[in-house]
Amino acid sequence: MLSKSIRVLLGVGLIVMIGVACAPAAPTQAPAATSAPTQVTAPSAPTKAVGATTAPATAATQSATTPRRGGTVTIAYSQEPPTLNHYIGTTSAMWSINAMSLEGLVTLDPDGNFMPQLSEALPTKENGGVSADGLTITFKHKKGIKWSDGTAFTCDDVVFTWKAVMTKESGAASTVGWTDLDSITCADPDTTVAKFKKLYSPYLALFRNPIMPKSAGDPANMQKWAYNRKPIGTGPFQLQEWASADHITLVRNANYRDATAGKPYLDSIIVKFVPSVDVGLNLLKSGQVEVMWNLSEAVLPTVEKMPGIKYVSKASTSSERLVLNLADPKIDATPDPVNNPHPILGDLRVRQAIEYAINKQQIIDALLFGKASVATSDVHAGWAMCELKVSEFSLDKAKQLLTDAGWVPGADGVRVAKGAKFAKDGTRLRLKYQTTSGDKLREDTQQIILDQLKQIGVELYIENVPSDVLFGTWASGAFRRHGQFDIIQFSPNPDIADPHSHMYQYYDSAMMPTAANKGAGANYSRWVNKDADKAIEQAGGILDLKQRHDLYCQSAQLISNELPVIFLYNRSASSGYSERLQNYIGYNASNPDFGANAANWWLK
Amino acid sequence: MTAYIIRRLLQAIPVLFVVSVLVFALIQVAPNNPLAIYQNNPDISPEDLERLAEQYGLNDPLPVKYLKWLSQTLRGDWGESLTTHRPVFDEIAERLPNTLNLSIIAFVISLIVSIPIGVVSAVRQYSWFDHITTTLAFMGHSVPVFWFGLLLIIVFSVNMQNPLAGTLLFPHAAPLPLFPGGGMTTLGADAPPPLVDRLWHLVLPVTMLSVVQLPQHVRYMRAGMLDVLKMDYIRTARGKGLSERVVTYKHALKNAAIPLVTIIALEVPHLFNGAVFTETIFSWPGMGRLFFDHAQRGDYPVLMGILMLSATLIVVFNLVADIAYAFLDPRIRYD
Repeated sequence: MLSKSIRVLLGVGLIVMIGVACAPAAPTQAPAATSAPTQVTAPSAPTKAVGATTAPATAATQSATTPRRGGTVTIAYSQEPPTLNHYIGTTSAMWSINAMSLEGLVTLDPDGNFMPQLSEALPTKENGGVSADGLTITFKHKKGIKWSDGTAFTCDDVVFTWKAVMTKESGAASTVGWTDLDSITCADPDTTVAKFKKLYSPYLALFRNPIMPKSAGDPANMQKWAYNRKPIGTGPFQLQEWASADHITLVRNANYRDATAGKPYLDSIIVKFVPSVDVGLNLLKSGQVEVMWNLSEAVLPTVEKMPGIKYVSKASTSSERLVLNLADPKIDATPDPVNNPHPILGDLRVRQAIEYAINKQQIIDALLFGKASVATSDVHAGWAMCELKVSEFSLDKAKQLLTDAGWVPGADGVRVAKGAKFAKDGTRLRLKYQTTSGDKLREDTQQIILDQLKQIGVELYIENVPSDVLFGTWASGAFRRHGQFDIIQFSPNPDIADPHSHMYQYYDSAMMPTAANKGAGANYSRWVNKDADKAIEQAGGILDLKQRHDLYCQSAQLISNELPVIFLYNRSASSGYSERLQNYIGYNASNPDFGANAANWWLK
Repeated sequence: MTAYIIRRLLQAIPVLFVVSVLVFALIQVAPNNPLAIYQNNPDISPEDLERLAEQYGLNDPLPVKYLKWLSQTLRGDWGESLTTHRPVFDEIAERLPNTLNLSIIAFVISLIVSIPIGVVSAVRQYSWFDHITTTLAFMGHSVPVFWFGLLLIIVFSVNMQNPLAGTLLFPHAAPLPLFPGGGMTTLGADAPPPLVDRLWHLVLPVTMLSVVQLPQHVRYMRAGMLDVLKMDYIRTARGKGLSERVVTYKHALKNAAIPLVTIIALEVPHLFNGAVFTETIFSWPGMGRLFFDHAQRGDYPVLMGILMLSATLIVVFNLVADIAYAFLDPRIRYD
């Protein structure tokens, strides 16, 4: 009997171990795009559709045929959100499902530009929505908005949402931005006035979060609300039923503001949870679902061959990169990388040589089936998008740079220092190269890069670790935060709505994790550049999106020049869908967020 | 007998206690953390993470965490999931019927099919029937289950069409797969009648699950029969001039069934656990997936709930097996 129990235990242990590192995506995306968007601000962001078979632009430019009303669309999701409360959950599935039923005061269009949603217009200084000191933001709501339960949407709901997030016992995951609010008051039921304690440049991104109705419950009890499994919103669809691990049914919201225009066209949407992408693809192929949500680049060639199936693919904000340590890895979290440089990577010429030697397009063609784009910066999508030059692949230039930098070919082909800037003569050009273990795409990428750098006499050795070790905390002694590495590869997930926190955390010199700041910040390269600091900090101190865009581009250019990181490829957000489904469009997003245009979907 | 049962039940208490300590410790050493989903989110600050860890009780030392869990469980409260924030009891109660629906049907089918096959191949040992079934059983045993499941989907759900599409039974217009490749019910307006729909959805996962269990049952039954057929009392029965039919089904089968009954009793707890592979491949919302999903998230209250339920069932059904054995075989006494 006991031996049976032990066997059970061993089995359990095994199962538990299997589920190790599953680095989940961070959040961020827009609720439903509605009628003709008043596109605002920023540069004209060209649609960066990666290998898209359809060329979607905005919700406005769509099929000329009259949409047919009625029908049900079933979407296969390979991930089930633990909760649909936006302020507790963070999974990309949650964002994508909520986009069909919940709305914020503002939202993003498919290219990541802000547009009003529940608010009548984007508040700016010109239209009087932003006060002269930039601290008070006034949102005028669209008239006659109702929650799906028929009650009126008012400013009290916005106040309620803020208070729910700020209630300590509510268990809200993120309080970023909300804590910077001094007050939210109601000038009248249709006017929300938000007053910030200090200038908060991502103010629009903050109000992109969906508003919760004040009927949702007691904030102190938020984790247990019935709302969390059946949220009430103002969007085109209303959640009707959630059977765990099986499906969620969303039905037409009769109180939707565009109901008079016949929207949403579909009667209902069923979100079907499938345990794996393979299963979902089979369902798509056999017509049992109309959409398979969130596909990786590697399966797109298979989807392309399926009869009657198309796919949409746009760049996500996530880009794979090599983070190079510019500081001496032997010193624990040095606050002074300039005087304690990395013996090899401290020299810009070596970093340049490494970038010249990596054939990024070859990696994309070989491992991502050409379905991704070469990455150039962290601001490659959204309103802050900057067009930067793709790095050149040239082994000759790489070799020349290394020779100039005092690294000469050794007996076995690996270069050794002879008059290098920071390395003692005789040092081998050998670097440790780490990423998360068990990630096939990353491991294959490593092999290609290892081979490519070998050709210029740079020797890499791989020492991969589980993702919770790589992404560990300062307190746990994670080498990424403590600066004890040479090269690490991963991809963070910047917020499409506002790049500021990402740019500041990853590139500002004040954000090097050190003992003094208890390991806060994400400038793991320990890159110090006063011009970039100035540009980033300045962008965080103003509200004008056009000016902010220019400042982020300046800093992105500086990063590209000095190479604290080498960008490899942009991951794309893709979905496969049936040709019968019309107006199914992609979004540039931090997550594969395809639900935002649900009001306009219809079935042929 | 009563004294024996009471003694065994009392013994179960320390066993379950040790199991709970070990399982709890194992779950805690696994690197999954319920806050991991928040860690790479740029909008969640380190202060937020610290506040949540405190609120979830993740900062408590292991013994404190365990004692909190134990005192709660002893009071009949299974706790609350750290990711969905629903009561663990509700999470399990929602999935258990689905799992039983699938596993009991597969189990019964497997028994109904395996007993006659096992008997016939033992009675006709080394006949062509025996060779074929033994080979098939061996193959069934060695086939990787997930591969077999995917094969079923490709053949019956992707390649083959339902000839009855558009009829009263299957109102959905063609093309409709012969059998659905996943899920428990058809959603939407043109679903088949509920009973038909459920049976239709059960076909492939039940097939997969039975194929996993069948070879085992056939082999047990065959081995049991072979043992019994060599016994002296069988020879005596034959010597008395009983027909081969009576010898096989009245004398041999009854005795050969004893080990099978024990095996059945020991397998019952596993019907509650759910089959991770089958449920995963066929999107069946059962216990196996509940366990797997929450294991990935390090959601220990849910895992503890499932594992302790399963440990308790194993202890109970071991006892049931022992008692059944005593009833079936009068030579066995537990006094």
